[in-house]
Amino acid sequence: MSDATVNDAAKTTESTTSEPLGETYLDKFPAEAKVVRSALYSSFLALALGGLFGVIQTLHRTDFLRIMESETYYTVLTAHGVFLVIAFTIFFLVGVFTWAVTTSLDREVEDIRFTWAWLGTMTAGAAMAAAAILAGFTDSLDMSADVLFTFYAPMQAHPLFYLGLTVFVVGTWMAGADWFRSWFAWKKENPGERIPLPTFMVLTTMIMWYVATLGVATAILAFLLPWSLGLIDSVNPTLTRTLFWFFGHPVVYFWLMPAYMMWYVLLPKLSGGKLFSDPLARVVFVLFLLLSTPVGIHHQYLDPGISEGFKFIAMTNTMFLLLPSLLTAFTVVASMEHGARQRGGTGRIGWLKALPWRDPVFAGMALAGLMFAAGGFSGMINAGMNINYLVHNTLWVPGHFHLTVGTAVALTFMAASYWFIPQLTGKKLWNRPVALVQVVLWFVGMTFMANAMHRAGLLGMPRRTAEPQYDGFEYEAGVGSVAELDAQIALGGIILTLSLVLFFAVIIGTVLGSRSDEVPANGYADTLSGPEDSPKILDNLKLWFGLAVVLVIIAYTFPLLSIIERGGLFGPDITAFPQSIDIVSMAWLTVEQYATDTFTSATEVAQATIDGVLR
Amino acid sequence: MVLIVGIIATITYGTVGLGIAMVDDEEDTISPSELDEDERFSDPRVEQVGENEYEAYVVAQTFIYQPDPIEVPEDSEVTFYVTSRDVIHSFSLVGTNVNTMVVPGEVSSVTAEFDEPAEYGVICNEYCGSGHHDMEGMLYVVPEDEFDLTELSVTADDEVELGDDATFDVTVENGQLDDLETAIELEVGDETIEEDVTVPGDDTYETTLTVDSTDLGEGDHDWTVTVDDHTESGTLSVVEDLEDDEDDEDGGDDDE
Repeated sequence: MSDATVNDAAKTTESTTSEPLGETYLDKFPAEAKVVRSALYSSFLALALGGLFGVIQTLHRTDFLRIMESETYYTVLTAHGVFLVIAFTIFFLVGVFTWAVTTSLDREVEDIRFTWAWLGTMTAGAAMAAAAILAGFTDSLDMSADVLFTFYAPMQAHPLFYLGLTVFVVGTWMAGADWFRSWFAWKKENPGERIPLPTFMVLTTMIMWYVATLGVATAILAFLLPWSLGLIDSVNPTLTRTLFWFFGHPVVYFWLMPAYMMWYVLLPKLSGGKLFSDPLARVVFVLFLLLSTPVGIHHQYLDPGISEGFKFIAMTNTMFLLLPSLLTAFTVVASMEHGARQRGGTGRIGWLKALPWRDPVFAGMALAGLMFAAGGFSGMINAGMNINYLVHNTLWVPGHFHLTVGTAVALTFMAASYWFIPQLTGKKLWNRPVALVQVVLWFVGMTFMANAMHRAGLLGMPRRTAEPQYDGFEYEAGVGSVAELDAQIALGGIILTLSLVLFFAVIIGTVLGSRSDEVPANGYADTLSGPEDSPKILDNLKLWFGLAVVLVIIAYTFPLLSIIERGGLFGPDITAFPQSIDIVSMAWLTVEQYATDTFTSATEVAQATIDGVLR
Repeated sequence: MVLIVGIIATITYGTVGLGIAMVDDEEDTISPSELDEDERFSDPRVEQVGENEYEAYVVAQTFIYQPDPIEVPEDSEVTFYVTSRDVIHSFSLVGTNVNTMVVPGEVSSVTAEFDEPAEYGVICNEYCGSGHHDMEGMLYVVPEDEFDLTELSVTADDEVELGDDATFDVTVENGQLDDLETAIELEVGDETIEEDVTVPGDDTYETTLTVDSTDLGEGDHDWTVTVDDHTESGTLSVVEDLEDDEDDEDGGDDDE
């Protein structure tokens, strides 16, 4: 860390990074580059749509510009949420993970047709779910999915929505299988070698994903999909809600892990240095694998029908999740300091000035990391069982996750795109200053919006509503006024939209450009303390997988059994709102009787088993 | 690590030490389609269960709360029992930590103390459908002397023959635990009848007031029964000859 050798190359190119030019990802893996590019373009399309819906709803709820009825707000909100946190994030993730595995194992995918197959599956699923949501805008189709990202029963969406989500998730499972396959093949050829860090990150994240998606898969396949098709009459709302959050919390880490990966393997390199510690990075990812899932009940502190003890266990696990994030903050900042000192930075704080702030990739990621610290603090508040009563379902919560997924993840992805798109196209980034303005605008816009959202939440303003103002009472703002908060949220939304427009200008400008030799070489950060310093046990994925499963069983078996014991597998005669089985019921009429019979008998068996276990 | 354990410890203390109860699985489940047969929720209301202790039974449904408004006295401890008739809602007092999910099939219970008169908005903060943003109610915490749980109902004749007595069956229900000392006042035409009563706590008082229709004279007479702030009113017709022409007058709406 005290190594203050001045890197001449870095000094001479102040406005750019010290990255050496050379062989790009496209040169080395042309076939894979095409897949990654397609994944990224899909994610950008989702970002554009999601962003558009975002600004529409911001201006609607703050009452600055209304282009629709308030009833339609919830269709827009569903589209904003699902497109951004499911499609944008996960399409980007599969692209980056494919890059990470191929680059760090230095081998092509085993079968490019399979790689295309999973991307195609994901795209088909996303298109189905998107069609069901967007159909909500027109009355001529008897189809809608105005159920928001959480699709809590007894709210019901069209079967196509549930089916689309399922197909999408199956696509991600196939993607994970593809990366594991690469690793198995690599291991055979490199016995005894440590798993390269980026691949290690991909594999641990995917194991977490396999465990987590079991929850949502069960909720959809066993309950919501048959229910929306009219095969079963009722569901247990607490059960499907709990299964959703079994998946719903780890999914936030699924969004975050690729951003963490960028901070670990790209950011130190862009700072002009090396990753501080490889073993620490591995520990962080293992901790996320272990702790991401058995915490979902912390979203249900206010739910009746779940005992305080179960909520307490979830809270304890959640608080321990702070550990890997605090470790990350330390490691990443230490790596940046190392880089800065390599570039001639000195002093206790002064080294910050030596960082390549003019590089949009670096600046975007660093600002995103800064925002994540703020988001982490508001997250700690959310996680406290008692103080959660004050903020639960208020605007505070969207304030929180616009800092985390909306900035830490989204801004990191946008900044990373400025590095990836040249890698994938062999073209030089169009207009670095515009890209720099873009990332800074995002930071500024989100500062306004998220800050005002947090404050409005403390006044008790609810989230997820078209009309935060009510007839019977007014909010009492301690500092400022509600009008001022609305103005800040709207201003933030407009700045963010502007930032998005610039982002697409840079991306399109880059893609339309011509091939250039001035693209940095593909690669990722070296480490100061390498894998040789980390205990071998860290690479024992079977062990961590086993432990993760055990923790999930401990955290979820009893809550789930208790929920089923209370409300039954299919709940106490719950009616769906709205019912959307009209079209499909015709086709199913013949099958239905048979299927229902089978289901009923299966249910009886399951119920009997559960009762037996409980006794 | 120490920091994290510390955070958990303070929260545990803040919860257990200060006796803040979480929404949990204490309450039995309930079938949302049978709320009308349920003792607590068929008639959503506020009940006194002890000195300064009240229970409120609240039903949330798209897109209203019952009862609305909810009225409780100052210096009281109120336990809200809330359930849903349809989808998931919330029951949230704006600006306070009274905030719970309301799930069909489950009953949420939340206890809160109200020290002084205030008005709170009640809102649903869980998306519940296209009219979600209209779902609101009010909670009034009123001064003790303005609060009662008195219910007044009056059954009276619509029409009497001149010379007959007109009868008013008055029922006063006292939902509070203390005795209610008050007066029933009947005003009809120019006549006033007053009766001082004591309604025992958690009990009902029934009485029949009669007025000689000769004193009133022929014609329509507006009447009002008043007990404290509660009033019931109607119109009494005194006619020469009672004929069976009622059906023509108060409409054919009652055919069913």
